Amino acid sequence: MEPLNWFEIITRVFIQFIPVWVALVVVFTLSMVYKRRLGLYGKLFDSTIGMIGFALVMFWVFTGIFGAMDLIITHDPLSQVSGMKNKAPGTPLAGAEEGYYPYYLFGGDNLARDVFSRMVKGAWVVVQIAPMATVFAFMVGITLGLPAGYYGGKLDTFLSFLANLILAFPVILLFYLLVTPEIVDTGIPNYMAMVLFIFPIIFVGVLLNSRYRTQPKVRTPMLIVVLGIMGWLYLSLISQPGTALKLLPDAVDLFNLQGGILVVFVSVVFVNSPTVFRIVRGLTMDIKTRDYVAAAQTRGERPWYIMLWEILPNARGPLIVDFCLRIGYTTILLGTLGFFGLGLPPESPDWGTTINDGRRLLQVYLHPAIVPAVALLSMVLGLNLLADGLREESLRD
Amino acid sequence: MTDDYDGPILEIESLSISFFTRLREIPAVMDFSVKVMPGEAVGLVGESGCGKSTVALGVMQDLGKNGRVVGGSIKFKGRDLNTMSQEELRQIRGSEIAMIYQEPMASLNPAMKIGRQLMEVPMIHRGSSEKEAYDRALQVVTDVKLPDPKRILDAYPHQLSGGQQQRIVIAMALMAEPSLLILDEPTTALDVTVEAAVVELVKELGKKYGTSMLFISHNLGLVLETCDRLCVMYSGEAVETGSIKDVFDEMQHPYTQALFRSIPLPGADKNARPLRAIPGNFPLPHERPPGCNFGPRCDYFEAGRCDATDIRMAEVPGNDRHRTRCLRFQEIDWQAPMEAGDTTLKSEPGRVVLKMDNLKKYYEVAANALFGKRGDTKVVKANETLSFEARESETLAIVGESGCGKSTFAKVLMGLETATDGQILLDNRNIESTPIEARDTQTIADVQMVFQNPFDTLNPSMTVGRQIIRALEVFGIGTNDAERRERMLQLLDLVKLPRAFADRMPRQLSGGQKQRVGIARAFAGNARIVVADEPVSALDVSVQAAVTDLLMEIQREQKTTLLFISHDLSIVRYLSDRVMVMYLGHVVELGTTDQVFAPPYHPYTEALLSAVPIADTRVTKKHIVLEGDIPSAMNPPSGCPFQTRCRWKSQVPGGLCEKDVPPVRQLGDGHQVKCHLSDEQLASMEPVIQIAAE
Repeated sequence: MEPLNWFEIITRVFIQFIPVWVALVVVFTLSMVYKRRLGLYGKLFDSTIGMIGFALVMFWVFTGIFGAMDLIITHDPLSQVSGMKNKAPGTPLAGAEEGYYPYYLFGGDNLARDVFSRMVKGAWVVVQIAPMATVFAFMVGITLGLPAGYYGGKLDTFLSFLANLILAFPVILLFYLLVTPEIVDTGIPNYMAMVLFIFPIIFVGVLLNSRYRTQPKVRTPMLIVVLGIMGWLYLSLISQPGTALKLLPDAVDLFNLQGGILVVFVSVVFVNSPTVFRIVRGLTMDIKTRDYVAAAQTRGERPWYIMLWEILPNARGPLIVDFCLRIGYTTILLGTLGFFGLGLPPESPDWGTTINDGRRLLQVYLHPAIVPAVALLSMVLGLNLLADGLREESLRD
Repeated sequence: MTDDYDGPILEIESLSISFFTRLREIPAVMDFSVKVMPGEAVGLVGESGCGKSTVALGVMQDLGKNGRVVGGSIKFKGRDLNTMSQEELRQIRGSEIAMIYQEPMASLNPAMKIGRQLMEVPMIHRGSSEKEAYDRALQVVTDVKLPDPKRILDAYPHQLSGGQQQRIVIAMALMAEPSLLILDEPTTALDVTVEAAVVELVKELGKKYGTSMLFISHNLGLVLETCDRLCVMYSGEAVETGSIKDVFDEMQHPYTQALFRSIPLPGADKNARPLRAIPGNFPLPHERPPGCNFGPRCDYFEAGRCDATDIRMAEVPGNDRHRTRCLRFQEIDWQAPMEAGDTTLKSEPGRVVLKMDNLKKYYEVAANALFGKRGDTKVVKANETLSFEARESETLAIVGESGCGKSTFAKVLMGLETATDGQILLDNRNIESTPIEARDTQTIADVQMVFQNPFDTLNPSMTVGRQIIRALEVFGIGTNDAERRERMLQLLDLVKLPRAFADRMPRQLSGGQKQRVGIARAFAGNARIVVADEPVSALDVSVQAAVTDLLMEIQREQKTTLLFISHDLSIVRYLSDRVMVMYLGHVVELGTTDQVFAPPYHPYTEALLSAVPIADTRVTKKHIVLEGDIPSAMNPPSGCPFQTRCRWKSQVPGGLCEKDVPPVRQLGDGHQVKCHLSDEQLASMEPVIQIAAE
């Protein structure tokens, strides 16, 4: 068979992505029709920049989801096909069997795996980890930033100093330290995970308790159920067999993360939360001077109710924008981690790792590195544009 | 420059301005005409959203990217501003037309010394040398009566007080000797006594330089004091224009009449002659009714006629350039007395519920922010020996300007701060040192507060109903959600809001409606003492009357004690039973409303009374302008707190005022004054406000 020319490659890639196109068209049509009723999300569809950003982001989200369902990929991302090593894009599969896709659309990498399928699978890794890690970073930043801004004084000085200390620490060095076997053996990453991951539980617990403080009959069962479930998830998350933290017996341990992913989570949360902390602290200091906060104080509300129900909801605008931007940073950070070979396992199809794999032969074969690089670029660009659009639209009326 | 031009300085002819949003075109000003002759001061009056500031921006040709002049012409000295190029406009702005804005701090560049900012004007517009510019700046700063002009020129804006800043802004506007000065609510951000001094200055300078003025304000009293002519605007249209005398005494438009009836003029009384609020709401720009915009709220509305066609301005025969936008103005009997509203019986004050005894609140402020612990600490005396009693169903007004300690007092009473000394007795229980966390639910529910700023008083991300229900939850009212919801709906009824508002978000409500929700929330736990911190000062006049009356009505029904904090003496006189005047943390005068508003006065009360603008041509006021600004509480004057600005000081022998804080003097019937003046001197005081006999 002849290798495909560029036009044919693009057509075939386009056809492979058909489920994504369908999903995008559905989302955009529905959103455009009901945009006046959808609040800030609806307003996004008045800004061209925001729509482009949203489309780029949703493209990769859908790619990730459908890729995980094995819809878009053409080959197994881990299987090697002999004779396909470093082959150019559009190369037909040598001796393709029945039922196999006859081409490597974006060529093969140095282990003769399909670059296209790896890119699609990599999207799923990014789409899973980046938002989750950012959510954790926000939980930590919010839970510490609110009291720092609200109480001020010594607490604020102490927490801000801590945040500055972390921000001053060289990030890359921190990552290397976290994956060094000697350090892993001491259990430091696990203990850090233990501390960082407890914040969502504190956050949700305080949130519900302050809201239902006056109705103990509703509050107590609700707190028991919610905190019970979250506590179990938390313990399952931090308890790793074979490490310093083995808290749960295997029978009740719900899941075990691959060792690397936990480190990725810890480092991303650790690096991002001081910045979130500062934003939340600043917003809190501004909002706490409003009359509705004084009104809450004069009716005897407890400080945490004021922080979580009176202040936080009104700080959401800037936080949503920052959340989008921060997913972008986290994506790049994941890429950086993967590029240094830290965290995720070496055969992982995530974009950072694939770029690193392709780097060694970059002068001879461009395509194994350039494909995930472009994917990473377009997704971060989409997130930044989305954040820009949201910021612009939230300021307009 | 066309200095020999002698026609009208500004001539606006059927001007229409629209703003374009993504949904629709919003007409902000329609068919607006006004003429400003040389040396004339024209007032532009209306409620917020009526388009008065848009007119000013239209004259400056600074409407932003959404706004556009869609019709009519704006002629400045005979030249149409609409057709001028940006280059020509730049020449005119700042040199021939100058504008003074509401917020003085926002009009000055904080990173530039005052002198340089002033000198820029002649250097840019006239090409003056630095020396000439400096001399001019020095002269203008002297003209606006700032002390020590050389030092002021060398200061940065943040080193000056609000009043001084506004004087600098005026000085800057006058630097180029403009022909037209546009003042957009120039004194709204200032205290009353400072406002009086600034208004005085503007009037004087207008005469001295022969400048024409366009004075934008929502305060009819202020316009009466400053302007020759006046233009009343409603919902984007001028509804009545004419000379001050014609419009005030022979009003020819129902809106003007309704406006006057809703402001508390001397003689109004909450029981015998209550105010009349204008019914209904201000129409949104895109929901204006056909025909007369005021139609749906007008007492004289005639269906089929007032809502048939657009209404043009019509000349009122017999008066000088007096025009009105009303079809029926010749049929209406303008002299007919106002229908008496529901008169109510004066409620008798009951037993004492709240007693303050020698309450003191001091703050310690570190002199050095970084190493405060070791450095000297300064003591700010926010409240000094506050003593008074408040009875059931009584309204006690607390009057004073910013920094007088009224907010600190409210904080201590609410329990957000604890007192330094003295006691607060609520039903004979001491609460002065119990912070709010330690108070029991009943005490908290008993003492509640209504806040000043309606746009800030409600949490923007919670529905109205939810916020009231939360207060009910905290106060432990109702056993389940259904009961609380029912009670919340009753509270909405109480403040006369439709029940459908329960599911609305605060941003869907107008200022007055938000303030009503704030009141409902304060009364959620059947509060017995309500501290109202300037609850109506941020609202439009027509809404003020409605909210005030609502407060009075709830008070009558619930026998609430109302502590009404305000600087507006008109409204205080209208609604309060007793008045307490505060200055720099001291109570300088306390007595019944009649006692405080009649001589003998405390010198500060006298000045305060004279400073409040009253929108009534029959009233003659004695003219007392206080020099200088309110001293800082960080660094109060020695002796009597008011001695630095007091005009009676010279009559007290031996410099007593500078040495000793005056004792509290009882003048009989519970009237007390903190002053060194002798009884004869106090008795010799004349009334400040006199109503001419009709």
